[in-house]
Amino acid sequence: MLEYAWLIPVFPFLAFILIGLLPKRTLGWENGGGYAIGGAVGAFVLSMLVIWDVLNGKTLTDNSVKTTWLVIGDSVRITFGIYVDQLTAVMLLVISIVGTLVVIYSGGYMHEEGVGRRRYYAEIMLFISVMYGLVIANNYLEMFIFWELVGLCSYLLIGFWYEKPSAASAAKRAFIVTRVGDIMFMAGLIILFKYVGNLDFSALFGQGGQSIVSRGLIPKDMLTLSTLLIFGGAIGKSAQFPLHEWLPDAMEGPTTVSALIHAATMVKAGVYLTARTYPLLVLTPDTLLFVAIIGGFTALLAATVALAANDIKRVLAYSTISQLGYMILGLGAGGYLVIHSQSSGGYTAAMLHLMNHGFFKALLFLCAGSVIHAVGTNDMRLMGGLRKRMPITSITMLIGAIAIGGIPPLSGFWSKDEVLSAVYHSGEFDFTFFVLWAFGVATAFLTAFYMFRMWFMAFSGTPRSEAHAHESPKIMTVPLMILAGLALVSGFALFIGEGFKKFLETSLRLSDIPLLAPGEPGEVASEIFSDPLTYLSLGLAIVGILIAYRIYYLPGFDRAVFARGVPGAFQRALENRWYISKFYDDFAYKVWYGFSIVADMFDRYVIDGVVNGFAYLGANTGNVIRKGQSGDVRRYTSLVVVGIVLLILFLVYIMPWIRGQGDWFGGWS
Amino acid sequence: MIPVEYWVIFSSLLFAIGAYGVLTRRNAIVVLMSIEVMLNAANINLVAFSSYHTTLHGFSDASGQAFALFSIAIAAAEVAVGLAIILSVYRRYQTIDVDKINILRW
Repeated sequence: MLEYAWLIPVFPFLAFILIGLLPKRTLGWENGGGYAIGGAVGAFVLSMLVIWDVLNGKTLTDNSVKTTWLVIGDSVRITFGIYVDQLTAVMLLVISIVGTLVVIYSGGYMHEEGVGRRRYYAEIMLFISVMYGLVIANNYLEMFIFWELVGLCSYLLIGFWYEKPSAASAAKRAFIVTRVGDIMFMAGLIILFKYVGNLDFSALFGQGGQSIVSRGLIPKDMLTLSTLLIFGGAIGKSAQFPLHEWLPDAMEGPTTVSALIHAATMVKAGVYLTARTYPLLVLTPDTLLFVAIIGGFTALLAATVALAANDIKRVLAYSTISQLGYMILGLGAGGYLVIHSQSSGGYTAAMLHLMNHGFFKALLFLCAGSVIHAVGTNDMRLMGGLRKRMPITSITMLIGAIAIGGIPPLSGFWSKDEVLSAVYHSGEFDFTFFVLWAFGVATAFLTAFYMFRMWFMAFSGTPRSEAHAHESPKIMTVPLMILAGLALVSGFALFIGEGFKKFLETSLRLSDIPLLAPGEPGEVASEIFSDPLTYLSLGLAIVGILIAYRIYYLPGFDRAVFARGVPGAFQRALENRWYISKFYDDFAYKVWYGFSIVADMFDRYVIDGVVNGFAYLGANTGNVIRKGQSGDVRRYTSLVVVGIVLLILFLVYIMPWIRGQGDWFGGWS
Repeated sequence: MIPVEYWVIFSSLLFAIGAYGVLTRRNAIVVLMSIEVMLNAANINLVAFSSYHTTLHGFSDASGQAFALFSIAIAAAEVAVGLAIILSVYRRYQTIDVDKINILRW
């Protein structure tokens, strides 16, 4: 079955073509929605078959299914192929489930869009197709192509309501900001390609037991630079500090797009890239430390901004950035564990968090979409009291909030705890990780608080606006219930069969470093519950929920305290997203615009000046020279005579001297 | 037999006189006459070298003389055309002063 994994992206792509090209009246249900669901389900079924094979221990990592795309010279052969291992399977699981459910949910959510639905379904099918392509690519270049294509789809779908200036500019912003990361990614690949001459995963990850460094293909410094640059791509795509500000703005798109692209799949591409590059990252500890610092810092920074956001989707967007920071932190710290204690704990924890987060964050976004669909606004200050009117949405969203808040036995608890424990244990090898661990614990506390703040603001109390909210149709609530079920149980992947850790660890094709097998599921569980740190983070999460309960549920708390004195200044900083967005805007408007003016001047006066100058020179020269055409026959004749005399003098006297004093007439015969 | 150098000097002088006439005269007919003088200088040169061929190689070669005959015939035709042009110029401008006929310019 694995050889046919390349068919997975083909189904959504066919749907994309059909929706885009079919005549209008043959589009049928929801203006193309039927074809979209067909494409998504086809890919889902194939993905499940592939995942089943992988669960049974089969992988396809030997670069055997491929086709030659480019041949450069004699030796360089760039191929398109598929690479399926346990890591791919995890990504396929998230994409196929969330993708299919989001497309079904769109049938209800996008119902009022009219003819725009055709464009919507076509673009979302293209996105799903290239996202599958991204995770089954067997070399970095192929991955990079799909990487750019998901960026394109993200741009198109953020700007779905392009008549709205804010959506159009948010789309541009997302495209340009992620492009900064993409350029770094490409630069990293160029370095790798220059030294190794091959971008296939199977060649780079040293299946023969020796890494590309110990085989002497690439100096360690260059590999460090290369991995840093490749991680730059992940920073852009996964919205990590300092390139994170595009993701909250991307909420201008439809909520389904936010759920699928900007929460569950595309933004995970950066994490996936980092995880896929792991065999190279563990050779470069400096990069790993950088990865961990970026992740830990982003997690805390984004969590604080989420505290003060009033737009329900922005809360979720910052929460997404924060949770992505967790995954990146887990991967960075996990690398130290791999190097120093041969344990893959951080890597597996981060990927488990990726899977869990895919489910519960898609759930939260779709719930938010359901709420927005009902009340017609994103502003939580205008919601309230929806619990009675939207029972299914409120309960499923509560499940999502508990899952992300980290309360056992829901999914978020397991993976978050594993990530924090991995970070804490890597603190033994570098003190920085203790600081990052503290960041992570603080983030866990803040996450629980802002999630319940959001839930209480939206669903409890009395309605604060006139809108007559009602529960969403079944086509929207059923995907919510399925996702809620997954958010409840996906954390138990740790304990099913041999356990998630053992399953995923086999995907790490490390060279030079032998890995210790992780513990049995039973040991993993007892480890979690015997560690006092588990209770610390759990306790903090509960405290966060209780504080949210006191402030936003129970009456009598004067929230005006947030507007005065030190809390007021803090609140304003948070509402302005720590002024980072403003800094970028100022930078663009002032510094960069100034530079652009200089560049414009240079173009206008120097470049154009040179071109125009040459034209002017030619015209003027002509003006001067044409005076020679006097029409005076005797002057022409005189010039002819003078010319002939000079020619004769030249031939008789100068030419022999040039030819070495010889006699010119003698040289003739 | 007159040595060939004499002929060469003679034809050079004739040519120079013709050129001087072309350069200094403003009357188009005189210019045309001067051109004829230059042509005849060339003809004399051709005939002189044709005769010198016998002195040099011991047998005669008449091609120089044949060229001269052609040249004379063509000169006659040229004079006819030239005079016709001058005549029509005169009809148009009431002058044959070449300095005044200068409309073919920038």
